[in-house]
Amino acid sequence: MKQIANTIKSNIFNLKMLSLVALAGFMFSCEDNVLPETNSIEDLTPPTAMFSATESNGDWQTYDFSNQSISSTTYAWTFGDGNASTSKEPSNTYAAEGIYTVSLTSSDANGLTSTFSSEVEVVMPIVPVILLPAILEASFEDGMLDGGSGDGRDSWRNSDLGGVIQITSSPTNSGSQAAKFPSAGDRVAYQELEVSPNQNYILEYWYTMKTSGTGHMTVSVLAGDGFTDPSAAVAATLATFEGTDQTSSNDYVKVELPFNSGNNTKVSIYMFNSGVESRVDDVSLRLP
Amino acid sequence: MKQINLLLIAVFALSFASCEDTFLAPELETGINAENYYTTDSEIQAGLLNIYDGIQGVNALKITNNNLNHGVQVEFYLTEMRSDNTETKSNEGEAAQFESFTIESTNGIVADYYRSYYNVIFRANLVLDKLDAASPENKAAFAAEAKFLRGYAYFNLVRLFGDIPLVDQLISPLDTETAFTRVSSSLVYDLIVSDLQDAVANLSDGGANDQASKAAAEGILAKVYLTLGRYSEAQTLLEGIMSPSRGFALENDFKDVFYNEGNNEVIFAIGYVPSSNDDSQNFSAEWLNAVGRTSGVNYVSMDAKAFLDANGGNRTALSYREDVAQAGKYQVVKYLPNGDAALGIPATSSDPTSAGNDWVVLRYSDVLLMHVEAIMAGGASTTSSNAIASLQTVRNRAGLTDVVTSISKQELADERRAELAFENHRFFDLVRLGLAQDVLSAFSTANGLGYSTTDLLLPIPQVEIGLSNGLLTQNPGY
Repeated sequence: MKQIANTIKSNIFNLKMLSLVALAGFMFSCEDNVLPETNSIEDLTPPTAMFSATESNGDWQTYDFSNQSISSTTYAWTFGDGNASTSKEPSNTYAAEGIYTVSLTSSDANGLTSTFSSEVEVVMPIVPVILLPAILEASFEDGMLDGGSGDGRDSWRNSDLGGVIQITSSPTNSGSQAAKFPSAGDRVAYQELEVSPNQNYILEYWYTMKTSGTGHMTVSVLAGDGFTDPSAAVAATLATFEGTDQTSSNDYVKVELPFNSGNNTKVSIYMFNSGVESRVDDVSLRLP
Repeated sequence: MKQINLLLIAVFALSFASCEDTFLAPELETGINAENYYTTDSEIQAGLLNIYDGIQGVNALKITNNNLNHGVQVEFYLTEMRSDNTETKSNEGEAAQFESFTIESTNGIVADYYRSYYNVIFRANLVLDKLDAASPENKAAFAAEAKFLRGYAYFNLVRLFGDIPLVDQLISPLDTETAFTRVSSSLVYDLIVSDLQDAVANLSDGGANDQASKAAAEGILAKVYLTLGRYSEAQTLLEGIMSPSRGFALENDFKDVFYNEGNNEVIFAIGYVPSSNDDSQNFSAEWLNAVGRTSGVNYVSMDAKAFLDANGGNRTALSYREDVAQAGKYQVVKYLPNGDAALGIPATSSDPTSAGNDWVVLRYSDVLLMHVEAIMAGGASTTSSNAIASLQTVRNRAGLTDVVTSISKQELADERRAELAFENHRFFDLVRLGLAQDVLSAFSTANGLGYSTTDLLLPIPQVEIGLSNGLLTQNPGY
């Protein structure tokens, strides 16, 4: 009996449900074009598409895109090279240099869209050229300048710092001439060079000194150019070598003077001696 | 440092003035106010001290009013905790928005810092406005000190928020256009550069290191130049600081940088006085386990721990330690308020909630590493012997004496992370070196965080946008 009662109850319940559904169907049937619009409001925050592009670290062909869209949920990108993406913040690798128009269409869940386009210029970075300047009249020979001019020391003059060097024909390290610094120590050789900043260089030269007396043959590299005062020149020294090898007055000794150009686009070579007649020949500059 | 209390006692003045013919416009005669206060050099100096006081901020554990400005004491939330270096201990609450890159524009800590630093700028503008009262011989130096602090404040704001309102003089409360109109960050940088150039020209060295100096201005300006890609100018300034005659050097023991205050490695710091309600700090306590108001913030991330283990040398043990109260969690060792007997670090204050550890803004190893960066000049690497010498000096002190022959940008970033960990440099370094996108997106992906590129700028605080009546716009992504 209890089971029968339950079945009846259940049937009554089903019947009720059915009538409810039928009633609902009747009510909607004549108004279904109106009701969904009732109480709906305008989308006051439509999407705004916006992005910026930055070159990826260490890879000039790849750009990372920063999505700055407002009120958007889905994104469609075209990168101007045929590639596309639907990621929020994609990256794209371009095959070649060029100007590409990147376009982002941002949409919200209501289906409103906004499109923003911007150009990306893909350029191969310039490989910095390391300057390796030629040293003029580096071996102090005649006729080394343009048109066969030059007396071997024209490029080494600086009358503010000291007298011009003398030229010796014996002994030399190579060729027929070398620079000579008399024992009075009142003559200097000076030359300005255009260099790359913060670059390691090695200045090479050969020198020899007379065996009698005491003194030195010093070669310095100075930061900057335009020196007119010996003490200012010494204060700007980047690297210096004070030669004191008096073993032989005939045999030249090779010196390698490494220096770093520092925060300068110009450096100056500055040679001076004291006490002993000295000679310098075959000055050259190279990279390590 | 003393906070200046400007008291207005207007009632008496009114009653005395009432029978005079100026009774319709009574002058304040017995009270001190901003209009009549600044008349002598010492009063201008009090105004300068007031700028430092603004950066110093209020110790939130001693003066527990949330509406006060906490200045540099909350800076670590916005910088270190927004990088791969640190996080909250419990990973929850408003403070955890930083580590997960889910910062809301309503974040109170962001609003605190923004408010604090604009208040610092106001205090600097106030001094600059009253300079006519200064003696002729001191006027330039006073202006330089105020401009140094204003430039420093703007440099932090522009890096954190991007385009921001530019207030370079006192403005009236009704001048909402100046207060709330965002200007291009390049214009903000113009003011920063001119302020700091003025500071370099007119400040001198030799004072306490919690005071503006020529070297401090040169160092901060060098970092501005590096940020702007003006590498050669940066290098000139840095080599000026590095000149032996200036007297700066690395401490032999890394620990002494933080626990031997007044050392000649620290070029500029924000000073704190232990056990003082007005001049102590609470960030040291917040970094411990439930000693401050938080359960522990600025805890070392697993990423940073692994990095320091591999790259720190002898700095590692002095950079982080395991939390004795909670195994598997790691605390910052720099700036401990209550010391660490095992590490031989003394307590700086009998009460850790009123710590006296100065906050280091600029130190010599930062200068050396900036020197490397200036020489690298935006390139991928350098073999310049001068750059190598600077890097080698920093590494040698850390016990890493293997000979460096070339430096890549990644190696420079790594050295900065190891040397300057937890000193609020990491985030700015990543952005400046162009590594933020790679590093932070990888870190976010590995840890399931919410980083996107718009997180590189903080939100303009919602409260400011509300006050601006629609003038102030929000950064994208918020």
